[in-house]
Amino acid sequence: MCACVLPTFVTELTLAALVILTLGAAFSYKWRGVGFASAVIALILGLLAAKSDAYGVLVFAVALINLISLVALDNRIKGVDYCLVGLMGLATLTVFTVQSLSLVLAALVLVSVPTYVLVMLREGGANTEIGLKYIVFMVFATVLFFIGAVMLAAGGDPVLGYVLLILGLSLEVGVAPLHEWVPDVFAAADPIPISVIASLAKIVPFVAALRIITSFSFDERLVLFTAALAAFSMFAGNIGALTAREHARVLAYSTVANMGYVLACVACGAACGAAATPAGGVGGASGSELALALVGGLLLLFANSFGKIGFFNAIKGEGSFSPFMFILAFSFIGVPPLLGFWGKFYILLSLVGVGYLWLAAVLVLNSAISIPYYVRLARELGVGWRLRLTDVVVFIVTMFTLATVALPLVEWLVKSMGVLSLGVM
Amino acid sequence: MNAAHIFLALFLAPIVSSVPIAVAYRRKELVGKLPPLSVAGILVSLVCSVLLLLKFPDQHFEYPWLPQLGINFVLSTDYLSRLMGVVTALIAFIIAVYGLDYMRGDYRLPWYWFFFNLFTASMLLVVYSDNLFLLFVGWEGLGIASWGLIGHWYRDDDEITFVGVPDRRVGPLRLCWTPSFGGWRAISTIRLGDVPMFLAIAALWMLSPEHNINISQMPWEEILRAAGAAGTVVILTMFLIGLFTKSAQLPFSEWLMTAMTGPTTVSALLHSATMVAAGAFVFMKITWYIRPWEVAAAVPGLETVYLLALLVGLFSAFYGALTATGMLERKVLLAASTMSSLGLMFGTAAASCWIHEEIAGMNFALLVAFWYLVTHAFAKATLFLVSGHLIHATHSRFSEGDLELASRMKAGFVATLIATTFLVGIPPLTAYWVKSAMDEVMEHLLIHEHMLLPLVLLLATSVTYSVILARFFTLNFFKGGKPHHLHLERLPLMEFGYLAMVSMLFVILYMLFERHELFELAKAGFKPASLLVGVAVLVAFLVATFKPRVAALSKIGTFFNDRMYLPFLNDFISPVVGFFVARLVENYGNRGIDGFFNTKVVPTLFRSLSRGVRAIQVGYLRSYTQIVLGLVMLALIGVAVWGVMP
Repeated sequence: MCACVLPTFVTELTLAALVILTLGAAFSYKWRGVGFASAVIALILGLLAAKSDAYGVLVFAVALINLISLVALDNRIKGVDYCLVGLMGLATLTVFTVQSLSLVLAALVLVSVPTYVLVMLREGGANTEIGLKYIVFMVFATVLFFIGAVMLAAGGDPVLGYVLLILGLSLEVGVAPLHEWVPDVFAAADPIPISVIASLAKIVPFVAALRIITSFSFDERLVLFTAALAAFSMFAGNIGALTAREHARVLAYSTVANMGYVLACVACGAACGAAATPAGGVGGASGSELALALVGGLLLLFANSFGKIGFFNAIKGEGSFSPFMFILAFSFIGVPPLLGFWGKFYILLSLVGVGYLWLAAVLVLNSAISIPYYVRLARELGVGWRLRLTDVVVFIVTMFTLATVALPLVEWLVKSMGVLSLGVM
Repeated sequence: MNAAHIFLALFLAPIVSSVPIAVAYRRKELVGKLPPLSVAGILVSLVCSVLLLLKFPDQHFEYPWLPQLGINFVLSTDYLSRLMGVVTALIAFIIAVYGLDYMRGDYRLPWYWFFFNLFTASMLLVVYSDNLFLLFVGWEGLGIASWGLIGHWYRDDDEITFVGVPDRRVGPLRLCWTPSFGGWRAISTIRLGDVPMFLAIAALWMLSPEHNINISQMPWEEILRAAGAAGTVVILTMFLIGLFTKSAQLPFSEWLMTAMTGPTTVSALLHSATMVAAGAFVFMKITWYIRPWEVAAAVPGLETVYLLALLVGLFSAFYGALTATGMLERKVLLAASTMSSLGLMFGTAAASCWIHEEIAGMNFALLVAFWYLVTHAFAKATLFLVSGHLIHATHSRFSEGDLELASRMKAGFVATLIATTFLVGIPPLTAYWVKSAMDEVMEHLLIHEHMLLPLVLLLATSVTYSVILARFFTLNFFKGGKPHHLHLERLPLMEFGYLAMVSMLFVILYMLFERHELFELAKAGFKPASLLVGVAVLVAFLVATFKPRVAALSKIGTFFNDRMYLPFLNDFISPVVGFFVARLVENYGNRGIDGFFNTKVVPTLFRSLSRGVRAIQVGYLRSYTQIVLGLVMLALIGVAVWGVMP
């Protein structure tokens, strides 16, 4: 009975959240606070509806922190921007558990489109040139992703479908060599909307791709193609960041590298193939490497989200408390027992499990290459103790990064994988 | 109060009680008042060790630490540990009380008391540990504390703390050492032994079933047989190198001579119940459980290891005694004699491999070695404590003193007379009975194993040892001439220290006839051959007392005083080899590595690669679109080629 009642309940909660967001956006033209409040309420409803356990909580946290950091950016559509982030958060919360391809793709669109607006936000105007550069590639990415997904679902050529899906994903999140838009957009746009794009917007594309990919079995050469793309992105991102001067540009290349790490999980997912039963939970997956890859990929996405929010807020606030900056940098590098370490750790375990030792070695090597620029970033952005909104945001994300010092929390994150759905058809 | 609490108090009390003085190092008025607290900490350890002796004999205690790795807090109160624990704590306590007077007004009291107590706690950990890894923790504690204490007077500004004659040179070598140099020589030599010892423990850990490295529980025979002949020799020799360096056996003895740059209390503790005794004690303890006298026939290579220990021990004993005959400095003479005594302990304990006789379930030779260690500890600590008083009174580290000094320092005189005569083996004093048993052990080797050398070395050492302690006695209280400077003041705690210490020799003498197993051991003293050796020792003592200097032998005396130029090994050959290797590494290793990683190859490569990666960021949407579309097209062509491929 429970199973029958809950889905209906989920739909109602999600619909209520959408209505509240729409109304909030409309009323926020008159009262700006309404936008913020409606976004928070929608997120709470979404969290209740999604039942994604630990990952729901983390998505909620990322979205909420994004909302708080947006307070620091005064812009022309103040109020509506909160609702856009609320919508992205809501879509991200649902993507873990929805059961059909159309809903997964809808979630992707709902996360992607609001960023077209957000990227242009700045105080006293709009970054139209940056917006144009960004939107062109996002539209292109979405189209590639959709064609690939639909081709796979419709039983078309699996090789073409897979390649298009991966190319779309790569362009969407900024995997090298399709990353050209990333450094320019990250460096030229306002740091606050970029912190949203670099954090919340990265989760859905990966989860969607993984859920589609795990519905099929693929040729080994396709796995190799993905692994090679992941390795290339890691090297391009980390090496590119080494000599970049602007902080935002360093973070852009860091994003390229991190997306390479997460793409390694996608390769793992493709290697495991349809080991998971369609539309089944990870708990039922026969291959434990797949579960490890998913845990690793998600933890790394969250580590990346918290780190990017922290650093971009520090850029916005012209520096933040030095120890926090170093903690975030160490998490990016993968120093135990910070959040970033666990992400890389589980990815490495899954790669070793599926026999991709060389990619595991590349990942470790890249973590070493990244040390200089992360430390440089932390040193240059680190200042004494101050208390402003951006510093509060940095404090909160640092606490999340530090949370995995408590090992039971890591266990919880791993166990929560059981409630996530795999496969979409 | 259970055993866990007692052990906790035993190990932690000395350390905890020395923390306040270490923390208060900036507040001079407080520092002056806190040393009794540190002494109280050692008193707690003493009480605990006595409790363990009386209430928990022959027990085994295990508290988990890293059980998966076979590393636990395993402590035992077997025969050796429970007695050695009391000896260590008692000697440390008496020396600590003595130190209250001796160290008063010193410029570095917090440092001294912290390391002194750490030293004691570390030794107690070594004594009671049954787990090799736990033992190694205490072992390393001894190392670091000895470095701290030997180099205590780090300013190197007082000639009285030096070892050697200032400005004396032999070839390129300066034969004079300062406290900081002494500390360095100690830690560098000890580290040389610790590393192979640690590797040996690791090898034993690997070979032992279930990684059990509890000394008393390890299936030694099985482990050593699994290691094979070469493995047994390599592993046990590596372990022995750790013990030899700690106990200053040849060729690692130099550090002990220059350890005399530390305060006399440190020398006393170092030479009696800690540090150097640790090496000999651990050797006895593992031998106790390896039981070579039973398993040597079945374990190839084991006899070779014990033969090595026997020879290194006896040669060190003879070398130490011989060099001491030429020593001019009070403490260095005693240091060389300690080395000699430790050699006898190693030699006798190693002889157990060929001795099957057991007394109350214990090997005869090991029992002899252990009781010689105990006797030597109290006697040698006494002599060092008197030395400290003499140096204080005469303001000289060189032996000097006459009957006038003896009459004005009666307590010191009496304590020295007792300690020397009781230690050298003059019948019927304490060490005579133990040394007689030692003679019997070596006699056994001659009769049953046809080994003549051990007995010859033992007898030669015994007679020479008698000469050196007689020289110490006579040159300080009888025929050493009038001191250049004499400043006697009432120092009751110091006098109490050496009188209490020397009185323990009477207690041991009483125990020799009161305890069953010791009486069995002392029986050797009633044999005519032993009596003959005893008389020879007495004659040597008397001759040296009345004729401590022989002009005709002055050159060879100087040679002995220079420790037969063994300092060259430490201060010349080792540095030359070391610097050669360092230059090699610097010129061909470091610069290459530096050039590759830090200055040339890797930085240039990454800089150009990084610029290459960023070069495509021209800022034009058109260029980016071309790149992306081009790459997508390439991918599509790839897929198409794949499709037409068979």
